[in-house]
Amino acid sequence: MSTRGGLLRWVAVPLLVVPVTWLLFTGLGRDPRDIPSPLVGKPLPAFAATTLEGEEFSSESLDGRPALVNVWASWCDPCVDEHPLLLAAARAYAGELSLVGIVYQDSPDGARGFLARYGDGGWPDLLDPSGRIAIDLGVTGPPETFFVDAAGIVRYRHVGPLTEEVLVEQLAVLGLDR
Amino acid sequence: MRSLALPIAAAALLALVAVAALQLVVPREPPTAAERAHTIAAELRCPDCQALSVAESRTAAAAAIRAEIAEQLAAGRSAAEIRQHFVARYGDWILLSPTDPLAWWLPALALLAGAALFGWWWIRGRRSSMTAPPRAITDADRRRVRDAAEALDD
Repeated sequence: MSTRGGLLRWVAVPLLVVPVTWLLFTGLGRDPRDIPSPLVGKPLPAFAATTLEGEEFSSESLDGRPALVNVWASWCDPCVDEHPLLLAAARAYAGELSLVGIVYQDSPDGARGFLARYGDGGWPDLLDPSGRIAIDLGVTGPPETFFVDAAGIVRYRHVGPLTEEVLVEQLAVLGLDR
Repeated sequence: MRSLALPIAAAALLALVAVAALQLVVPREPPTAAERAHTIAAELRCPDCQALSVAESRTAAAAAIRAEIAEQLAAGRSAAEIRQHFVARYGDWILLSPTDPLAWWLPALALLAGAALFGWWWIRGRRSSMTAPPRAITDADRRRVRDAAEALDD
């Protein structure tokens, strides 16, 4: 009895406990918003919309050089935090990097107020009143930033506010590493 | 009172069976576009809320997805194509039910394995307790009992 019971105890119990513990440790530690984007490695979905300035913009104009597509809103606090980084990137790589903002579930006036307060980098910000562009990009909420290479392929999607580390690292992937 | 309970139960059961049979026999009307759109929306996760389907949520993103579903249905695309459209953008995350058949079979398999293990353990326990014959009492045993009883009497 003792050998069979011992075998059961020392084999069956760890066999049950170890996977469950592993599942809980890895599962509960994950950020539910951190979902890998299926767009990575694929072409950026095409979009066209009106900018805050009232001009027509098409994603075709992004072709030929690396681009950042930043989804933001004036009601989004983390967007305020990452905004200086976007301004710095636009300045540092003027002429080499395209930036385009997508205004997510926000009014034009709200978006203009944000830019007036935190700085307007001069790149186009597209209005998306129907939310169609955001859905085409698989956006779950602002801020989200897509790193697109010169060939128009999405290389990385960042959920949440950008950090300097992520920005530098991912711009380097796009070939911008001065 | 008791004489009534049985006929009432029987009648209720009969009615239930009749309704179920009617459901099977009467041809169902094909779903309208709105119903089809609702069915698809109910299977998709709302992107900007927690644990709600697109059909249930009132957020702007959910409304935009519902509009997209209606538009694609009107364009003649199938439910599977529309689901794939959103999976290509959001990944499998957007689907509320798992697509991997393993996720459906694994719990049932685990239950069966557990039941089998328990059954094996139970049968083995019964058999061993039944088949192990009681040891015959020897003279040595009788002597030990007698000695113990005598020791008590002292």
